[in-house]
Amino acid sequence: MDLFNNLIFGFGVALSLQNLFYCFVGVLVGTLIGVLPGIGPLGTIAILLPITYSVSPVAAMIMLAGIYYGAQYGGSTTAILVNLPGETSSVVTCIDGYQMAQQGRAGPALAIAAIGSFFAGTVGTLLIALFGPPLADVALKFGAPEYFSLMLMGLVAAAVLAQGDMVKSIAMVVLGLLLGIIGTDVNSGVQRFSFGIFELTDGIGFIVVAVGVFAVGEIVNNLGERQERRVLSAKVSNLFPTWQDLKASAGPIVRGTGLGCFFGVLPGTGPAIASFSSYMLEKKLAKDPDRFGKGAIEGVAGPEAANNADAQCKFIPMLTLGLPASGVMALMLGALTIQGIQPGPQVMTQRPELFWGLIASMWIGNAMLVVLNLPLIGLWVRLLQVPYRLLFPAIMAFSAIGIFSVNNSAFEIHLTALFGVLGFMWMRLGFPLAPMLLGFVLGPMMEEYLRRAMLMSGGDPSVFVTRPISLAFIIATVLILVVMVAPSVRKRREAFTD
Amino acid sequence: MPAIRALPLATLLLAASLTPAAAQQYPAKPIRLIIPSAPGGSNDVVGRPIATFLGERLGRQIIVDNRAGAGTMIGTELASKAPNDGYTLLVVSIAFAVNPWLYDLRGRYDPIKSFTPVAMLAAGPNVLAVNPSLPVNNVKELIALAKEKPGKIGWASAGVGSFQHLGGSLFELQAGVKFLGVRFKGGGPAMIDVVAGHNQVAFSSLVQTTGQIQSGKLKALGVGSKKRVPILPDVPTIDEAGVPGYEASNWWGIVAPAGVPQAAVDRIRKELAVVLTAQPVIDQFANEGAEVVQMSQGEFADFIAAELKKWQQVVKDSGMKAE
Amino acid sequence: MNREFLERKDFWSGVMLIVVGGGALFIARNYQFGTSLRMGPGYFPVMLSAALVLFGVYFVLQGLRAGAEKLEGSWSLRALIVVPLSLVVFGLLIDRAGFIPAMLGLIIISAMASKDFRLVEVLLFSVFLTAMCVVVFIWALGLPYELIAGIW
Repeated sequence: MDLFNNLIFGFGVALSLQNLFYCFVGVLVGTLIGVLPGIGPLGTIAILLPITYSVSPVAAMIMLAGIYYGAQYGGSTTAILVNLPGETSSVVTCIDGYQMAQQGRAGPALAIAAIGSFFAGTVGTLLIALFGPPLADVALKFGAPEYFSLMLMGLVAAAVLAQGDMVKSIAMVVLGLLLGIIGTDVNSGVQRFSFGIFELTDGIGFIVVAVGVFAVGEIVNNLGERQERRVLSAKVSNLFPTWQDLKASAGPIVRGTGLGCFFGVLPGTGPAIASFSSYMLEKKLAKDPDRFGKGAIEGVAGPEAANNADAQCKFIPMLTLGLPASGVMALMLGALTIQGIQPGPQVMTQRPELFWGLIASMWIGNAMLVVLNLPLIGLWVRLLQVPYRLLFPAIMAFSAIGIFSVNNSAFEIHLTALFGVLGFMWMRLGFPLAPMLLGFVLGPMMEEYLRRAMLMSGGDPSVFVTRPISLAFIIATVLILVVMVAPSVRKRREAFTD
Repeated sequence: MPAIRALPLATLLLAASLTPAAAQQYPAKPIRLIIPSAPGGSNDVVGRPIATFLGERLGRQIIVDNRAGAGTMIGTELASKAPNDGYTLLVVSIAFAVNPWLYDLRGRYDPIKSFTPVAMLAAGPNVLAVNPSLPVNNVKELIALAKEKPGKIGWASAGVGSFQHLGGSLFELQAGVKFLGVRFKGGGPAMIDVVAGHNQVAFSSLVQTTGQIQSGKLKALGVGSKKRVPILPDVPTIDEAGVPGYEASNWWGIVAPAGVPQAAVDRIRKELAVVLTAQPVIDQFANEGAEVVQMSQGEFADFIAAELKKWQQVVKDSGMKAE
Repeated sequence: MNREFLERKDFWSGVMLIVVGGGALFIARNYQFGTSLRMGPGYFPVMLSAALVLFGVYFVLQGLRAGAEKLEGSWSLRALIVVPLSLVVFGLLIDRAGFIPAMLGLIIISAMASKDFRLVEVLLFSVFLTAMCVVVFIWALGLPYELIAGIW
């Protein structure tokens, strides 16, 4: 088996002083931009791309990759501390992570996020090393019908698993789907709900909606409370997770990693889907699902692991086939081109030092992130002791800079203000916000895949059940419905007979 | 307010016209280069190295200002309303010549009247590539197959008005065929679908296709440029392979708000001529499949006018304008 | 007439959904609907907005029931106005006046949303935070914003 030799070879490449240095720079920059909302890996990598011209191809790729997965790490920090999602994928972490922070458990939440991410990163890296090429081939079997059926399953699961006021959750998913439609229709080029406003032709940015409803909405809500913010860090119980916490998180981390790897391998699933799925799964499996949304550590551990595994596995199509699944991956391919390397499936065999060196560096980078993040926890938690009357203007400032830096668009700042008002209103009316964001992410993709599938099949809806992978998802969807809905029906019947 | 503002400006202009030395001192402050796409977008990949190296030559910083949105129209409109003092420049691409026919730009900007062409930077041909499972070996066979099965062969492209979409639409018109047009959010996902075989035909940039062609995952039938490209020497041009007159390339250039001082334009052009021969610039352009093209200012103006005319016709004939 | 329903969560939830869904439906009527087999750009928007209206009706009916949950808890009109307003001010100032005025405006105005507003403290804090952001974002990260428009 040459895997072992290959890995040794890879570590030999990655452990050179120069490559270690670039790996460190990458994860450090990644953590920083991850903490800040808005500024994401895409923009940062684009700006740093010219710099990579002067370093070796391996070092360039190692640094850029470090920025990418480092950002996924950093994104959870502000989500947990102040309900501000640093990256798209950390929205889910806001739900329970922020609640934990409010209960004085910011330390354990941050630590478990780091530990979960490290585990997931390790598994993701191994997966690429072991099964990269075959997995990429499987992923290519996913066409429009498969993706649609998969997302349908996700949406049904989300609706069925929603706790609390189920109808309100579903209504919010629908609202999110509708918001996601704003902008140019991919199929026809028609402008929908853009009111002749240029800025709306590309749709509303996810970060605008997320920061608006979560961060700004939460601030308005907090300021309305009679006792304006009992000090956030109330009684910081302990900085690190207890044995209890670790035991509770082990399962979610493993399952989240599995889900993250699955979604990560598929290039057509955007960010945040993996972490949403993990959250829903953990909530379903929990003995007392009522704790979710009120500071359940499983709600941080699972999604964070899923998110990092997803980020890691998104490299598979790029590394093995030279196909970019996202803008970030396209830029990394661009970095290769700048170096005079033609991206494509041949890179793996012709430039093994690139492939194996990068894989080894990812593991090293993940380890660096843990070492980098754990000591910072104490510092972060202390930041929370800033009085709320000063803390919230600071959150507003970082939100504004972050959002503005994405497109230099004042319009998006104003839109964030609007979503802040809406978020507050929805909170007051008892609407859960996460399902809306799930709908917002899934909506445009589902529509795109459904219409594409129908277009390519010539209007024949049977494509969804004649293609085996798609059929499997449809069957799973039906099963979820039966399994989940049946007990509640039975319960109702029993109630009647009583 | 405008009067007060105009006063110093007028004195400045007067001073500038009286003392030619002042004009020679351009640039006296940092220059803003508006890039109407997000970091990482095609205009950005081409524009960013220009900002770095041209800034060095001019001895002044060139600040990159990404103003993405609405298929480059947000940044373009912003540039059209900027002061025409030579301190605001705009990177334009093929979208500049297409958007006026796809969208209502009244009251926003006019591609000819609102801008002064400064310099052409680069061009990158598109490549007609098919999934190897499609039983065709050249452009003529593809046309024959498409005529046999009109509207059945899947052609994957990015959205309406994108470079890939335009290349395919032009092909449909000139070859007299009709594909099953399948649109994606971006060029990357469209390529994945063609490599995977869910769709069969793609018109895409060199950088997105070359690796796949060399490894046999895609079959190249033709390139959209006038001459064959060095990296794919065996691939004929689409023009020679069966669609005479076909030419579809993405291109990039720099324009300034109309009425920019000629002295500024001359200075920029003089330095650009050097910058465009620098190896780092050439290498970074390759990232977008772009090759340096140098034109005189007049040639560039004629080129823009010709592109506008060409795509007006294509947009009209293909009926791609959304109602 | 009993106006108690005006205090109920579900009633207003329903109203919100009907307004949004109805509005979207009104706009989407112009988009080509297509058929289920060949969906036009209007298909999804119409379906989704119609669903929202139905949800809205459901909630309004729920809200009219006696004993439905009421809107409770305190909230601050001042915060609801001032916090979004501070963002709007930032948006207006950043392109016209520059980064520093926009930051100062945002921080000072948003701080006023708090009942615990202390002028001197906020002024000092805003200067400190702005200076920090200039160092981090403009100098270290190189964001291309003018510090004070036309001057810096």
